[in-house]
Amino acid sequence: MIAILAVAALPWLITTPYWRGILVVCAMNVLLALSLNLVLGYTGQLNLGQSAFFGIGAYVSTILVKTYGWNFWLAAAAAVGAAGLLGLALAAFAVRLRGHYLAIASLGFAVITYQVLINWEKVTEGVRGIYGIVPPVRGTLALFYVVAGIAVVVYVLMDNLVRSPVGDTLRSVREDEISAASLGVNAAVWKAFAFGICAGIAGLAGCFYPGFVGTLVPDAFNIVESFTMMAMVIVGGMGTMIGPVIGAIVLTFLPELLRGFGESRLMIYGLALTLVVLFMPGGMVQAWLAVKARWSS
Amino acid sequence: MSDLAALVVQQTLNGVYLGCLYVMVALGLTLIYGVLNQINFAHADFVTVGAFAAFFTATRLATRVLGLPEAGGYLLSLVVALGVGALLGLAVNAAVFAPLRRGDELRPLIATIGVSVLLENFQLWLFGPIPYQFDSPFSRETIRIGRIFFTLQSVLVVAVSAASIAALYAFMRFTFLGKALRAVAQDRETAGLMGINPNLLIGLTIVIASALAGVAGALLGPVLVLTPFAGATVVVKAFAIVIIGGFGNVQGTILAGILVGVIEAFTVQYLGSGLIDLVVFVLLLAMLVVRPTGLIAERKEENV
Amino acid sequence: MIRAQGLSKSFGGVRAVQDISLSVPEKSIFALIGPNGAGKSTLLNLLSGVYQPDSGDLVFENKKLNGVPAYARVRLGIARTFQKIRLFKQLTLLENVRAGFHIHQDAPFWEYLLRGNTGRFHKEALELLAFVGLAGRAHERAGALPYGQQRMLEIARALATRPRLFMLDEPAAGLNAAEMEFLLGLLEQMRSRGITVLVVEHNMDLVMNVAQRVFVMDHGVALFEGAPREVQANPAVISAYLGGEFAAQG
Repeated sequence: MIAILAVAALPWLITTPYWRGILVVCAMNVLLALSLNLVLGYTGQLNLGQSAFFGIGAYVSTILVKTYGWNFWLAAAAAVGAAGLLGLALAAFAVRLRGHYLAIASLGFAVITYQVLINWEKVTEGVRGIYGIVPPVRGTLALFYVVAGIAVVVYVLMDNLVRSPVGDTLRSVREDEISAASLGVNAAVWKAFAFGICAGIAGLAGCFYPGFVGTLVPDAFNIVESFTMMAMVIVGGMGTMIGPVIGAIVLTFLPELLRGFGESRLMIYGLALTLVVLFMPGGMVQAWLAVKARWSS
Repeated sequence: MSDLAALVVQQTLNGVYLGCLYVMVALGLTLIYGVLNQINFAHADFVTVGAFAAFFTATRLATRVLGLPEAGGYLLSLVVALGVGALLGLAVNAAVFAPLRRGDELRPLIATIGVSVLLENFQLWLFGPIPYQFDSPFSRETIRIGRIFFTLQSVLVVAVSAASIAALYAFMRFTFLGKALRAVAQDRETAGLMGINPNLLIGLTIVIASALAGVAGALLGPVLVLTPFAGATVVVKAFAIVIIGGFGNVQGTILAGILVGVIEAFTVQYLGSGLIDLVVFVLLLAMLVVRPTGLIAERKEENV
Repeated sequence: MIRAQGLSKSFGGVRAVQDISLSVPEKSIFALIGPNGAGKSTLLNLLSGVYQPDSGDLVFENKKLNGVPAYARVRLGIARTFQKIRLFKQLTLLENVRAGFHIHQDAPFWEYLLRGNTGRFHKEALELLAFVGLAGRAHERAGALPYGQQRMLEIARALATRPRLFMLDEPAAGLNAAEMEFLLGLLEQMRSRGITVLVVEHNMDLVMNVAQRVFVMDHGVALFEGAPREVQANPAVISAYLGGEFAAQG
C-alpha cells in the first residue's frame, strides 16, 4: 500500500520532463521484467524471445490505430492477443526443448520476428519507421500514471497467482518436470500458459512504447532487449515477485545516474548480470535477505 | 561451360568459402559444448575481439611498427588473433566457467550472456560504433579458372580452416591430451577417476575453442562490417550450424557449416542479403522441431 | 487392480521388458523383485506412463492405460516415487507436499487470480508430513534434508495425490535399519488404509516382511510369481540371485 502511494507521489517530486520520461520507461521495464519473471523465474523456462512480443505489441497496436483508425484501447487488446498467440507458438518449442536448446530457439524466434519487422516493409515501413505516433493520453505525467497503474495491477494479480496453487504448479514444472508429471501436472499446458501470459504482458507494454517515443523503428526490438529484460529479472532476484521490480528500477536509473560513462547502459547491464550470476544468483533480493539475517543475529 | 553451370559452381565455391569461415566459428562452440555441456553465448564476441586484434595488428603494428609488407602483416595478425583469443578464453574460463562448474546449467548460460553483453559494449566504448575498414591484401588478388573467379583470400580462408581442422583432428586422435579430452567429453567423472584432471582439460578446450574463434575473427574481418557487434551477426549462423550439426559433434558441425555457407551463397544470389538471417533461422527452428539432436545423431537419453 | 498383458519394451537393441504379464490384487502389497538390470524399473515406468509399451496391454480398474500419458494416470489414482529421488529441491517441505495436491485443487481460476486463494490443503499437507515423520520441519528447504528423510518427503508428496495404487521404486535404497523399519510401517499403514502398494525392490528384508505376493524378473522376462515363502524356495529364483541375498536368508 505504501509503495503504491510512493509511486503515485513520485512524479510530483520529479518535475523535469527528462526524468519524468525515465519514470515512464521504468514503469514499462517493470512490466517487462514481471512478465519475463513468470516464465523464467517461476516456470524455469529460459525464454530469450521477449523482445519479439514487446515488438509485436508495439507494431500491431500502432498499425491498427494509424492505418485502420482503431480506438487505442481496442488496438491494445488486439495487440495483446496477438502477442499472446505468438507466445503460445513459442511455447510449442518449449514443450519439446530444454535449457540451452530452448534458449537458442527462443533467440531464433526473436531474431526472426525482428527480421520480419525490418523486411515486411509494406506493413511495418521497415527501417524507415512510422512517425507521428500519438500516445493514448496527453502528457508524460498521465502516461506514467497509466503505465504504472497497469504495472501495479499486473503485479497484484501475478502475486495472487504465484501464491496460489497455480504458483505451486508452475514451480513444480520448473524444479522437475518428470516428478511434476508423477503428481498429475501436464507440463506442456502449463508452459503454454506461462508463455502466453508472459508474451501478452510484454505486448501490453509494447503498446505504450511507440506513443511515448513518438516514432516506431524495428531497432528498438532487437534481441538486446531480451538480454536487458533478463538482466533486470536476474539482478533483482529471479523467482520472487519484488525482485524483477527492483531489478527494473535499479537498472533503469543506475545508468542515468552514472552518466559520466557515456553510452554505457548496456555495459553496466552486462557487468551486473555477470557479477550477480557469479556471486549472488538470487539477485538483490538474496542480498537483502542475507543482510537482514545478519542484522537480526 | 554453360551460364547456369558456371553460376552454380561459382556460388557453390563461394558457399564453401563462407562455410569454412562459419565452421571456424562454430567449431569452438561445439567443442565447448562437447566438453562442458554448456553454450558460450559470448563466443561470437571472442570472434569480434579476434577481428579487432587482427585489425590493429595488420594496420598498425605490423606495417608501422615492424615494417612488414602488407601480406606478412595480415598473416601475422592471424597469429596474434589466435593468441588473443586463447588469452580471452583463459580469462573467461577462470572467471566464469570454472567457478560455476557445479550447480545447475542455467547459471553459466546466463553468465555467458552477461559476458557477451559486457564484451560488446566494452568494445563499443573503446572503438566506437563506426565500422572499421579492414582490408586484407589477399582480397585483391583474383584467380581465374575458366569462368570461375575466386580471390586469394578465399583460398587462404579455406587453407587455414582445413589446416585447423586437420590439426584439431590429429590432436584429438593421436596425442595423449587429445584422447584425454575425448574421455572427459564422454564421461567426466570416470575420466577424473582415471587420473585425468578434468578441470585442466576443460580449460584447455576452452582455450583452443577461443583461439579458433580469434582466428575466425581475423579471417572474417575483411568480410564483415567491423563494429563491436560484428560477432553478433555471425553468432546467429554459428548457433544454427552447431544445432544442425549436432551439439558436440565435430563432423556434423563441419558438414553443417559448409551447408549453411552454400545456402547463404545461393540465398544472397536469388533473394538478396537481407533475408539470410531469416532463412537460416527458419532452418534452425525447423531442425529443432524435427531433429533436435542434429544431422548426425547424438548420444544421451535421460535416465529415470 | 492393475493388470498387464504381454508388455514389451525395447531400447535400441536392448529388450528391457519382454512379454510380461502380471496382475496386482487390490489392497495388497505386491513386490517386484529381481537382480540388477532385470527390467524392474522399466516395468514400473511402463505402469506409471513414463514409457509407452512397444506391445501389450495395460488395464487399471477396467480402464485401458495404453497411450495415456503419465500425468493423466495420476487422476485415475496412480502415484509413484522414483529410484533417484526427484524432489523439488529449492522448495520447502510444505511446498513440495502442497504441489502434490495439484489434481485436487478445484477452485475456479479467477479465484486464484483475483481473490488470492491459496488452496485448501494446508492442513492436510502438514498431516502428511507428520505421517512420514517430518512434522515441525515444514519450512525447511527440501534439498537440505538428509537422504532418508528426502525419501520420506517424496512419499508424503506422492500420497498427496490420494492414490489408490501407490508404486515405489527401490524405496529402501540407502536407508539405514531404523529408517527401513519406519518404511515398513508406512507401507503397512498404507495398505490398511486401502491403498494398493507395488514395491520394486532389491532388498529382501523389505519384501519378505511385508509383501503378500512377489513377482520375480530377470533379464526382462518373468521368472516366478507367488507368496514370499514360495519365492524363497524356488530354485530358478535362487540361481538367478546366485550368491546374493537369497542365499543369506536360507
